[in-house]
Amino acid sequence: MLKYVRSRIDAWWAARHQRRDTHAMGQNNIYILPSRPGLAFCFTLGVLLLASINDQLSLGYMLTFLLAGAGFASMHATHGNLRGLQMDLREPAPGFAGGDLQLELRVHNSGRARYGVGIRVQDENGGKGETAWCDVPAQGHALVHVRCPATRRGLLELPTLVIETRFPLGLFRAWSIWRPATRAWVYPRAEQPAAPFAVTAHAAEAGELSGGALLPGQDFEGVRAYRRGDTLRQVIWKKAALALEQGGPLWVRETRAPASQRLWLDIADTAGREWEARLSRLTAWVLAAESQGHPYGLRVPGQELDPAQGPEHRRACLELLALAEPGRTA
Amino acid sequence: MSLISERLARLPRETRDTLFLLLTITATVAPHADHLPLWCSALTALMLLWRAQLAWRGASLPGRWPLVGLLVITAGLTWLSYRSLLGREPGITLLTLLMALKTLELRARRDAFVVFFLGFFLVLTSFLYSQSLLTAVWMLLCVWALLSALVLAQMPIGQPSLLLAARQAARTTLLGLPLMLALFFLFPRIAPLWGIPADAVGKTGLSNRLDFGAMSEIANDDSIAMRLRFEGPAPPSSALYFRGPVLSDFDGRSWRPSNRVFPLREAAPRVSGRATSVEVTLEPLRIPVLPLLELGSEAPNAIWTLDQLTLRRGVDLQWLADRPVTERLRFTHQVWLQHEHGPLKTSGALSEYVVLPLNRNPRSLAWARQLKASLGPEATAQARVDAVLSHIRTNDFNYTLEPGRYGELTPHLIDEFWFDRRLGFCEHFAAAFVVMLRAMDVPARIVTGFQGVDPVPQDGYLVVRNSNAHAWAEYWSERRGWVRVDPTAAVAPERISAGRSLQPAPGAIAGVLGSMNPALWRGLRDGWETLNNRWQQLVLNYSRGQQFDLLKSLGWQQPDWTALGQLIAGLILTATLVLWGWMRWQARPRDAWTRQRQRLVRELRQAGIEASETQGPRRWAELLSDRHGAAAAGLVELLLGLEASRYAASAAPASWTERRLWWQRFAAASRELRAGAR
Repeated sequence: MLKYVRSRIDAWWAARHQRRDTHAMGQNNIYILPSRPGLAFCFTLGVLLLASINDQLSLGYMLTFLLAGAGFASMHATHGNLRGLQMDLREPAPGFAGGDLQLELRVHNSGRARYGVGIRVQDENGGKGETAWCDVPAQGHALVHVRCPATRRGLLELPTLVIETRFPLGLFRAWSIWRPATRAWVYPRAEQPAAPFAVTAHAAEAGELSGGALLPGQDFEGVRAYRRGDTLRQVIWKKAALALEQGGPLWVRETRAPASQRLWLDIADTAGREWEARLSRLTAWVLAAESQGHPYGLRVPGQELDPAQGPEHRRACLELLALAEPGRTA
Repeated sequence: MSLISERLARLPRETRDTLFLLLTITATVAPHADHLPLWCSALTALMLLWRAQLAWRGASLPGRWPLVGLLVITAGLTWLSYRSLLGREPGITLLTLLMALKTLELRARRDAFVVFFLGFFLVLTSFLYSQSLLTAVWMLLCVWALLSALVLAQMPIGQPSLLLAARQAARTTLLGLPLMLALFFLFPRIAPLWGIPADAVGKTGLSNRLDFGAMSEIANDDSIAMRLRFEGPAPPSSALYFRGPVLSDFDGRSWRPSNRVFPLREAAPRVSGRATSVEVTLEPLRIPVLPLLELGSEAPNAIWTLDQLTLRRGVDLQWLADRPVTERLRFTHQVWLQHEHGPLKTSGALSEYVVLPLNRNPRSLAWARQLKASLGPEATAQARVDAVLSHIRTNDFNYTLEPGRYGELTPHLIDEFWFDRRLGFCEHFAAAFVVMLRAMDVPARIVTGFQGVDPVPQDGYLVVRNSNAHAWAEYWSERRGWVRVDPTAAVAPERISAGRSLQPAPGAIAGVLGSMNPALWRGLRDGWETLNNRWQQLVLNYSRGQQFDLLKSLGWQQPDWTALGQLIAGLILTATLVLWGWMRWQARPRDAWTRQRQRLVRELRQAGIEASETQGPRRWAELLSDRHGAAAAGLVELLLGLEASRYAASAAPASWTERRLWWQRFAAASRELRAGAR
């Protein structure tokens, strides 16, 4: 029964706070309650009133009611400090599990200046993150960076954001809840320190294992037009001047990457460990291979990415790893 | 000097906020220095200075143990000063010290809140001592500063200027002003919920008992006790006796009211001449007696209901309340300056007024018996009184407010006064005089109250101050009843005729100014007191009576609690409606374009177009011509015009009139379209 009620409440809550990419705060999504000092303030007012009655202090009445008036008005002011603000979120940069996602929020204000607006992340257990504070100038906007802990890998929905303020008197806390629709990539945690690459069986099978450490460009195979991504060393400078003069393309030496350098990062090479640990190792390898400039390919159960290089490839590999699930073949 | 100001300008925020808060606290505490023990003021100042120095240097705060030590020391000193930690004075002492101590561990924002709440209490407690206009203004500034500090604490980043915080605090307070005024005028003024601890010992003023010579020195309390306004010319100051507690029981040291078991049936005063109407504003004197001008025509045991106070006329013709009067009262009553009262023939009841304590003051009794014998057995009471008065007048009795302490060496206080020291003020003279009369078998009693007024009226009001407190005597004489006699007048006639015992000692500035330019000083003082009186009449005297007067002026015939309740309920209802309307207004889309778009979508749906807000005018125009063809040409043109005016590169926002014109044309075209479709 309780579970049913609970699920109904959760459903109602989710329907009330639909995932959106922008968040406009207005009458219907700002909540306000007295804060703890606010309750203490009420108590103080009670005592002040009693003292005024008992000593028949006209000025005491005045003080009590002045404070009551200011406190009541501060409810309106606190609510107004959020009302009319609009927020949007830049698509967050990918992060690694166990690290942080950096959320960049923009707060737009078409009204009066706002002060002491705090934004924090609420995790699934309702726990509180660190609050990032900002002041928003009148008719302007503010940039806020919020750290959001990335616990799991995958293409994740962003956690609920809580926007709150206690300005001006701190007697009330007004808050609003925003569930962003944007999703963020969280790659598996990279193993630290990275293990050395496994000498893959695939390379051995192909009989292309060569002894010496060959650097790219050593096996000369031919010439072709310049393509983005080619290194300057590959350019045939002797012909370059002519090419530039005639408006033609630059020519580069085409090299065939040595087979031993055509690295295959295979899930099979990490066998004997837990699934997440295996993904961690592969992630570390992808990063290492990318930074060392080796072309690399990636094999996970059911999917394979041909060897290549560059930020796009790196991203594709990491996204593949982020979503990788253990297959039957593994 | 410039170094300090430079440093001030570049203070880190934390330090600046702390210094501001310390300054605010100092301003709040300062008015208390007047009535706190010296050690408390000094210790508070030291602690605040210490904290300021720590903030200035950015040093760390003291640990827990020094603070606990300080707390124990302050509590101990308070106990030593008052022999108690409860009650008003020790309470305020402790509050002040706690406030200073709290600043020494002011770290988190929660601590700051504690300081604010203590600050508000300190502001309130200073009203216990003074509610003058000056206090009000000073305290308003303190509250403003406290609220500004509160605002600062809610601005977690950057270095917001103090001015900004002060403006925000003022803005919030001003927004709350209507509520404050409504509460102030409408909150029911109820009677005190519990008794007020007796205080104000050692001040001139009235009390329900008179200790002979216990007070060696009277504080010259210059505060105002009441203000009067006569309808018609005011009587001379020397005729103004305000009858307070009447004291007839003497135990050798103190005088108390009669505790007669069977009340006497006394006739009403016999008044003659013309009655004078007088409007009285009485400050709370915290005694159960109303000191009114002698004498009204009401008989003893008459009942008078004033606000929520029930007053009964005592047998001695004073007005007794059922509890100490703790509120300011304003009322009008009738007085007759010519009156007689008391029985005309001797009766057994009068024997109470010749009782003297046994074995006390033998020299006085002997002296009185001797005087009585020398006058002869047939001498009237009047003759005996005259004889005693002439003795006072002709011997070297001295009127002084600092007579020293009586009764330290002897239980025979009257003897000591009458023969040995001959120094005293009204209480001594009245008491000794009554003892002498009683020793001569003349019934006599002491009447306390006020005598005289300020020589110059203020703003049309005659002012009676607490320093006008006075004691005189009444003796009984056959065929006349009780007769007032003022023995102090025999030794210090100027006390009675001028109405003032001593001028209050002027403050330093007043002294200098007064000697340099007396006229200017008098003008300043009078102007200020006039302003203060207006303040008293308008704000401080606002009580139940005025509350009901307000209701009456708002149209209630018979103002009472129900009417007040109706008014409050009505106001709450109105406020709720206004608030609700305002919230609806707030909830509407802010910018004109959104509102226009919503209205357009509504209109277009009436025309049968499935328009949505996410589409633009061009899309709506397309939908319209798809649906209605050429009939919608007018609307299409208007919509395209709207698009052009809204999205054109150099478009200025449309003015209100332009928009209105556009809507008129749109509505006309829309009507045409619908008429055509039908």
